[in-house]
Amino acid sequence: MKAGAKTIVALVENESGTLNRLMSLFRRKALSLDSFTAGDCEQDGFSRLSLVLHADEGTVHQCVAQMGKLIDVVDVQHLPDDDSVRRELALVTVNSSPEKRREILEIAQIMKCEVAHLGHDTLTLECAAETRHLEHLFALLEPYGIHQIVRSGVVAIQTEKN
Amino acid sequence: MKQKRSGAQVVMEALVRHRVDTLFGYPGGVVLPLYDELLNWPQVNHVLVRHEQCAAHMADGYARSTGRIGVCLATSGPGATNLVTGIATAMMDSIPMVVITGQVNSWAIGSDAFQETDIQGITIPITKHNYLVTNVDDLPRVFEEAFYLAGTGRKGPVLIDIPKDVFIAKTEVEFPDQVSRRGYRTSAPVDPKSIEEAARLLNEAERPIIIAGAGAVWSGASEALRALARKADVPISSSLLGLGAISRHDPRSLGMMGMHGEAAPTLAVQEADLVIGIGMRFDDRLTGKVDGFAPRAKIVHFDIDPSEFKKVVDTVCFVPGDLCFSLPLFVEAVKPVERAGWWAQIRSWQHDHPLVVPDSDSLLARHVLHKLNEVTSSNAIVATDVGQHQMWTAQFYKFKEPYQWLSSGGLGTMGFGFPAAAGACFANPEREVWAVVGDGGFQMTLQELQTAVENNLDVKICLVNNGFLGMVRQWQEMFYDNRHSYVAMGSPNYGKLAEAYGVSYFQCSERADLDETFKKARSVKGPVLCEFRVEMEENVYPMVAAGATNSNVIMDPAEHRKPAGVR
Repeated sequence: MKAGAKTIVALVENESGTLNRLMSLFRRKALSLDSFTAGDCEQDGFSRLSLVLHADEGTVHQCVAQMGKLIDVVDVQHLPDDDSVRRELALVTVNSSPEKRREILEIAQIMKCEVAHLGHDTLTLECAAETRHLEHLFALLEPYGIHQIVRSGVVAIQTEKN
Repeated sequence: MKQKRSGAQVVMEALVRHRVDTLFGYPGGVVLPLYDELLNWPQVNHVLVRHEQCAAHMADGYARSTGRIGVCLATSGPGATNLVTGIATAMMDSIPMVVITGQVNSWAIGSDAFQETDIQGITIPITKHNYLVTNVDDLPRVFEEAFYLAGTGRKGPVLIDIPKDVFIAKTEVEFPDQVSRRGYRTSAPVDPKSIEEAARLLNEAERPIIIAGAGAVWSGASEALRALARKADVPISSSLLGLGAISRHDPRSLGMMGMHGEAAPTLAVQEADLVIGIGMRFDDRLTGKVDGFAPRAKIVHFDIDPSEFKKVVDTVCFVPGDLCFSLPLFVEAVKPVERAGWWAQIRSWQHDHPLVVPDSDSLLARHVLHKLNEVTSSNAIVATDVGQHQMWTAQFYKFKEPYQWLSSGGLGTMGFGFPAAAGACFANPEREVWAVVGDGGFQMTLQELQTAVENNLDVKICLVNNGFLGMVRQWQEMFYDNRHSYVAMGSPNYGKLAEAYGVSYFQCSERADLDETFKKARSVKGPVLCEFRVEMEENVYPMVAAGATNSNVIMDPAEHRKPAGVR
């Protein structure tokens, strides 16, 4: 996780315009998000969101307060660094000539990656981890020549109930 | 199950359920089914405006003058986009409105159909909530929710966009008995701890002052505010929109503070050791430079909206919840006390820096507004546009009670005053209603003269004509070396204009004729246009320049030799 990055998690009602409304809030504050994820959750008709942004405490406090005002938002909080788990899925396609393949697979194994696809001269690796771990992985693969990186954005969950 | 009825019928049922007696609107293609249905509901008076923007402003004026929800209606596309300024005006000032727009047929949405516009997308940032209803079965629930959301908590406009086919489609679904939205709480519960803390701070303070905002009006907290002022002997200043929360005739009311507020309350806040904001949001026009705002004070903030907490200023204590619950508890918790020393200081500021009505022969806007207050005994409902005349009205009109003062504070919408006053007339046919407008703003929405005439509205227009966009000219004079850039305002012949519309017209350009002009205007039933041709280059004082702290109150140089300021 980058220094200064803050994670906001929210439970929202699925309604026409919900995501638009949320994004509008950040846009009109001229804030850009590092990542944003949304998906179905354990409650029918509701989604859980995870947002990561770089902002000071006051701004994050305001964002949380103003998100809380939205009618679609059932619950929202600034997720504390402890008592929480954050994961991000990355797919990365890297050059892998036959002579380098073993080296790369070794890195993949140590870095807890799955091989998603093995091509003639490329490897597509799949890794779900914390952001910091992924960035370390990209740095290790960089010398081999990275074709493309795709990241899901952070999903985050609080581990202990308040 | 009820019998099947059309979406249009559901809309009308919803309006009647919520006791909507007046609907401000303008027809068009996709709302034809609703307009046809409208003929079957004589209990709802539809007011045909001449521009949709004014339908929104009239609904807004209806709401501001009653405390009830205003409702307006427009067709899709340009009809809907014309509402936007009116919706944004209501949003900024937390005015309860339900806005109904027609949309192209649901199957055509997204196809760039004729008069299609994404009004839900457009109005997301300027509504409390909005809906696009694509299934007629959702209509009953959506209308119940919309009225509930608009009229509870921190109020605001709610828009419902309805495709043409949804007006026509039939449903058996009934209105729900109650609204439940997990993500919506009307207000936070009362928090006795923070009330106790606020009371302790007030009890310990030597120089406390209250800044009352529109929240005190809309929460019905006037009585508690008065009781608080009396019991704790604490002065009450007002934000622009807080005027009327406590009567300006109350001895503890100091009037408006801030950029063009009276000097005494503005300076008192700078000198205070405790500032209590009640139902207000520390707007930049009120605080001046935030870093220099109330430099000696701890700040306590009462507000229904927790997101206002520390949004602008650093507070030591935030009291959440609806003022109608929290303020009476606060009054109970504070100690009765007298603050003679603090009041002596405040009275001396008032004495040294009063609002001045210059004794000149030429007619000044200040003469007009001072006289308007006098002849109406501060009892009229008064709406304004935005600019100099608005500030002079805020200064000179001594509002007595809530829902008497209709002005676009947050958005600062020119053209608001006249239609807002018209909306107030529909809601208060027995009251005297004045629209105070400038020559700039009036020319933005004067087409509604026709609406006023058709409805024989008893709306009185006080047109303060100085031939300029006065406030902008004032800023050009003060901050741009008096270089006038497009601020001179030509006007039509208002007498002929009034005649063309069939509106009574009076003109006054002499101070000596003021009484007579008002007398005539007030004796006429129906719409009246009073044009006051005033001095062209009169400035609004007191003034705190944008970006300056409130300690630097600039007084009228013509009237004051003593600079107003604090240590």
